Amino acid sequence: MARYLAHRVGQAILVVWLAYTLVFLAVQLLPSDPVTIFLTADSAVDQAAIDTMKSQYGYDQPLLVQYLNQLVGVLSGNFGYSLASGQSVLDRISGVAGSTVALAGSAFIVAGLMAVIVVAAATLTRSAILRRVLVNLPPLLAAVPVFWLGLVLLDLLSIRWGVMSLFPDGSVLSLAIPVLVLAAVVSAPLAQVLLKSMNQVYDQPFIDVLRAKGASRSWIFFRHALKNAAGPALTVMGITVGTLFAGSVITETVFARSGLGSVVLTAVTTQDVPLVQGLVLLTASVFVVVNLVVDLLYPLLDPRILKSNGQGAPRALTA
Amino acid sequence: MTERIGMTSRPNRTPPRRVPARHSLRLTALLGIAALALAGCGSAAGPATGQNPVAGEPVEGGTLVYAEVTPINNWQTQAARFYEKSNVLNSVLDRLTYFDAGTSELVPWIASEFSSSDDATEFTFTIRPGVTFSDGSPLDAEAVKLNFDALGLGIEAAQIQPNVDFAGYEKAEVIGEDQVRVTLTSPNANFLRATSSVTAGLVSPATLKLDAAGQSAIAEISGSGPFTFESEQPDEEVVLAKRPDYAWAPESAENQGDPYLDKVVIKYLPEVAHRAGAIQSGQVDLARGLQPLDEGTIAASGNQVLPAQGVDLTVNMAAVRIGSGKLDDVNVRRALQIGIDRQSLKETVLSDSYDLAASVLNRQAPGFTDLSAELEYQPDKARQLLDDAGWTVGADGIREKDGVALEVTVTSSNNSVVIKPAFELIEQQWREIGVKLINRAGDNTFLATAMPDPSVEFFGTRQFIYGGLGPIFEPANNTMTHTSDDELNEIFAAERAATPGPERDELLAAEQHALVVDKAYSLVLWDEVQVYGAHRDTRVEFTSGTAPVFQGAWKTGG
Repeated sequence: MARYLAHRVGQAILVVWLAYTLVFLAVQLLPSDPVTIFLTADSAVDQAAIDTMKSQYGYDQPLLVQYLNQLVGVLSGNFGYSLASGQSVLDRISGVAGSTVALAGSAFIVAGLMAVIVVAAATLTRSAILRRVLVNLPPLLAAVPVFWLGLVLLDLLSIRWGVMSLFPDGSVLSLAIPVLVLAAVVSAPLAQVLLKSMNQVYDQPFIDVLRAKGASRSWIFFRHALKNAAGPALTVMGITVGTLFAGSVITETVFARSGLGSVVLTAVTTQDVPLVQGLVLLTASVFVVVNLVVDLLYPLLDPRILKSNGQGAPRALTA
Repeated sequence: MTERIGMTSRPNRTPPRRVPARHSLRLTALLGIAALALAGCGSAAGPATGQNPVAGEPVEGGTLVYAEVTPINNWQTQAARFYEKSNVLNSVLDRLTYFDAGTSELVPWIASEFSSSDDATEFTFTIRPGVTFSDGSPLDAEAVKLNFDALGLGIEAAQIQPNVDFAGYEKAEVIGEDQVRVTLTSPNANFLRATSSVTAGLVSPATLKLDAAGQSAIAEISGSGPFTFESEQPDEEVVLAKRPDYAWAPESAENQGDPYLDKVVIKYLPEVAHRAGAIQSGQVDLARGLQPLDEGTIAASGNQVLPAQGVDLTVNMAAVRIGSGKLDDVNVRRALQIGIDRQSLKETVLSDSYDLAASVLNRQAPGFTDLSAELEYQPDKARQLLDDAGWTVGADGIREKDGVALEVTVTSSNNSVVIKPAFELIEQQWREIGVKLINRAGDNTFLATAMPDPSVEFFGTRQFIYGGLGPIFEPANNTMTHTSDDELNEIFAAERAATPGPERDELLAAEQHALVVDKAYSLVLWDEVQVYGAHRDTRVEFTSGTAPVFQGAWKTGG
């Protein structure tokens, strides 16, 4: 187990470092340096002003020096300063991260629950019509754009019926509705994958054996089938962190919520490169950590993973 | 479990395949979609009604909820060149002078008197007694001098650049008890007007000593305005509370005392589709950025459509850059200027709240000269000009010259609700004269690279011009035209040195004529106006910079 753990953590660190380096190099591909790009958003900017700010932020140094300085900074917890507000990138992000964690975290859990509920209902129902409806629900939700769903719900609930505020006012609905909107979209691929692998599990002979032994439908589903079918869905869940982040940007904008989404949006539109760099690093880290957790959960679902030479996780438990 | 479970266990030696870079690409794509959604697309003209007569007896008390477009995080006062910022800071910061749009004159505010030397290089301000900043310190001549230094020289320690409208600043001195004299290195007749700008808002000496992050935080900024900061929820709301001891409004203001309202709550509605609904459902009292489509709905529901004329700004225009070489012949630019059917622009994508441009200056701007005769839609003449310039119609209907197609690109931010549909219509109109317009208006990602790129032919924009037209068109790296035109710059310099009066008005007219007709660097579209939606109970007026004047606002319902 220790070896497996060390291997996975090492890989995770490598990925974060590569992501960081990639972003640094991508910034160099921009037509100009971050300060010039940021300042030329004004109509006429003085070259002397650009030069002063460039040296203040260290963009006049040779590339390698910039890279090493930034890397040392990041390792010591200094992610640089936002060009737009002069605030440190860390302060800017941590100031609103809580709101996004609440939204995305709840949506993540709700999405998982929604997927399981849809699949359980579709598998256990005796009604062919209901099953057909439920089976088609995930593809439908996957096709609905987050912003559209949010706009329609807000229009109905807030403007037409007046049951909730257009603004986040701390009420239950003002968190529940964005969470549901985001969860609906995130749950779609989970439910699709879970449904598919569930069908494959149900084709296996051991299900017949369980039935023959007299196990109830729900006992078979929750006690045996779910655990066996969960692997691929768990993998997808790790990947949906990306969707979750992208969805947060849109959900937060539509619902006028503060959070990382709106920071991403303003950082990109104002060309605040240091802030964008910090955000990408953060996103990459969260992504890697979530997937690390997924990898570490695998052995709990399928102990054979630890026995397969201690290397590599079998991502597809079913074909 | 001992049965065969039918799952193949495949050891996987390849490293994780989900590279975060891919994810960030997807994020970018989604952002693009979000930006498109936000850009909105009002495409029908709605009837505008309901000028807001601030009539009746003001009601004391109450909270006004104001919806801005997008949250901002940098409140540094000198960089308040965005509506999101200036609309709020207008109520927090006082200025030395106030531009009264009604009379087109500067009136006293914190400066009870102000004068200029004949050569426009020396300016004297007498500071009104008894004014204090919200942190308790006095707004006296010394504080004004410190503010001038910050405006004219910048604050290096806080990475604050000099204010562009204060170019040529040399020094400010306190004379006697209550006077400040400013000396410039070169004449600038626009200097007094520049002191009326929100970007020249006076802050307390303690604020000027803060570092960059401190001066960016609205909680830390201390002004002498009618409202002061009370609380904020980052990216969600800012709450301002009135200063009960406020007694130094601009001379022209109807309310000379403290605000009627107790509080103003600024919230954000980035989603254009919600603004009308927010007003109709009474969730906000005032919202900026109403799309033409919603104007009729708002008026029909008994609420108010309030167009605020942007006298302090240029008109909305496509500023021409000649870097690609396609537009360096002035006749080609003139052809495009008269190839725009402005009337149909108004009928199709704008509304009655919008006045068509007749110059590069708004109609109410001092020195405005009416060039509408030069701006009539003349497609035949436009074709002739293009023919004569050697651009002949190719097989696909698009003109070519030496194998190059007359294909031009426009960039603009997504901040205006009407700019993208406007360029969509112009795209059709120019197609008629054989010009292909690639419409990238409202695409902020493209804007980032297009702004500094002289080969992107058009920049759709409007700019604050407290310092006159010179600062935005003069420098070689100006983002409007990316061209430094010597003849034009001579007029700008002469205009700045001229004393106010007929001679200066002539020079202002010459600037406008050169920009719009002779050189056609500015394809003018419509006078700048910000269309606000207001609840039927809201009573509010606006500055010449389109900012709501909360000091004089009230709600009839209390």
